[in-house]
Amino acid sequence: MGHCDKNRILGSILDAIVSLNLDNISMLCRNALELSISIQEIVDSIAKAMEIIGRKYEENEYFLSDLIMAGECVKECFKILEPLLKGGGAVIGRAVIGTVEGDLHDIGKNLFGMFLRSMGFEVIDLGVDVSPEKFVEAVQRYNPDVVGMSALLTTTVVNMKKVIRALKEAGLRDSVKIIVGGAAVTKEFAKEIGADEGGVDAYEGAVICRKWVEEKKR
Amino acid sequence: MGLSHRERFLRTFEFKSVDRVPNYEFGYWKETIDRWHMEGLPIEVQSDKDVELYLGLEGLESIEYLPIAIGIWPNPPSITLRREDDKEVVADGLGGIFVKKVYTSTIPHYIRYPIRSREDWKRIKPFFDPKTPGRIPLNWNDIIEEYGNRDCPVRISVGSLYGWLRNLMGVERISIAFYKEPDWIEEMMDTIIDLTISILRIVLKDIKVYWAWFWEDMAYSKGPLLSPKLFERFMVPRYKRITEILHEYGVKIVVVDCDGNIDALVPGWLEAGVNCMFPLEARYVDPYKLREKFGKRILLMGGVDKRALIVGGSAIDRELERLTPLLEEGGYIPTVDHRVPPDVSYQNYLHYMKKKKEWLEKHHP
Repeated sequence: MGHCDKNRILGSILDAIVSLNLDNISMLCRNALELSISIQEIVDSIAKAMEIIGRKYEENEYFLSDLIMAGECVKECFKILEPLLKGGGAVIGRAVIGTVEGDLHDIGKNLFGMFLRSMGFEVIDLGVDVSPEKFVEAVQRYNPDVVGMSALLTTTVVNMKKVIRALKEAGLRDSVKIIVGGAAVTKEFAKEIGADEGGVDAYEGAVICRKWVEEKKR
Repeated sequence: MGLSHRERFLRTFEFKSVDRVPNYEFGYWKETIDRWHMEGLPIEVQSDKDVELYLGLEGLESIEYLPIAIGIWPNPPSITLRREDDKEVVADGLGGIFVKKVYTSTIPHYIRYPIRSREDWKRIKPFFDPKTPGRIPLNWNDIIEEYGNRDCPVRISVGSLYGWLRNLMGVERISIAFYKEPDWIEEMMDTIIDLTISILRIVLKDIKVYWAWFWEDMAYSKGPLLSPKLFERFMVPRYKRITEILHEYGVKIVVVDCDGNIDALVPGWLEAGVNCMFPLEARYVDPYKLREKFGKRILLMGGVDKRALIVGGSAIDRELERLTPLLEEGGYIPTVDHRVPPDVSYQNYLHYMKKKKEWLEKHHP
């Protein structure tokens, strides 16, 4: 296979995701694998596409429904790639995410998870209304690089602090980076409760997480 | 200038002079009223309407909708499947299953939405049949007489194009359907529109209605849940089918209840004849910018930053001061920018009420 063919098919994967074209995406990924393009290169193309999607979202060209559709395209890609990923080295890090206790909102958390996956993270999603104990258990069990917490309500954001306290008490705080998000979360609040980052949108949050794992590897 | 409630309301939205702008509020979380009972609110004051009557408001909760059933009808009973600590797992009667907190108000978290496929929709579609008995009360003549004699501006719910479907399908499923199955989305929306139009045709010829109310809740902190392109393609023409009938019967004020950052949706709503934005969450929406951009075409309701009520005292005074020029200009009815949350003390709310009453007396168009 020539360099041009490879670039063309990787470009087609990128274009399909950016234009939210779900129809061809599985076929394009299968074609790429059949042409012996490495999983890493395909994942890189997906990540690049999601970077463009994220930028369009920040610039108000794309909106939540578009992000969800892009996520659907990425999901289709990973249906093809996932069985092959286990033995490969395409996973860049691991994240445990969840909506904190008392809160049942999950759109922001799901979006954050989608961006993380598209960047090559293995994501363990604990769901909604997650107690501090469950966060601690998950950190002990999965040894993640990142813990992401979400909350929408002013009455539940305070529970993020309880999770951080519980992680400290379990001696796990320093083993992970913590990022917090949700409508009521500001950068100042994140700092105040002892998180490493917060008050950013789902895409920006995922970019920060990627930076963290890259720094860790250096 | 002795104006009736209705005149005050209509003149405010016509940018005409009034003795004062109506004193409306959006409502309260259940936990807020529970908290206030510990802080001095009489225990017999239980509902939003009770609070508003007790505090002397002309509140939104007190202005009843016409008692007609637009939307899912009949409402199937929900059944609690099991209780787990402070949570209940509930079957919603439409094929969905959700988890809800027992002691706190929060939206239900669906673990299975009622509509996951076209087959599910076929099962639910009959619940939108306009001919189902009971949508119009059987004592309709009494209702005509009762609402004909009211001095408040009679309000009608005209339902929802996106919000209802989103609640039945979930944001993710409905977002994907807009791209993958646009004909299905159109069919569902048209079913709702046909129902709404059928009911409006019956009701509006018998009762003088002054304002109509859509509920969408289709935006969040960053902007709309649905892209404006899809909104304009699927929803704007369909809103028009409803607003044309409303206009035919002289209903000039058409509200949309939508939280979050609505900036990108406002042009579409205005084009569709939906002209009053509510509740203008202060964190995301600048009512002055909307007025500057759209002039008197846009009516505004809400906008008082709930965070000022949490802080209390001079923060409340400053917040009202911020909104004074808008109040004086007209076309604006202030309320807290969402239901009052439980972080607001009763003392702070009483301070807000006192200051707001003085403010409304002093500043008006």
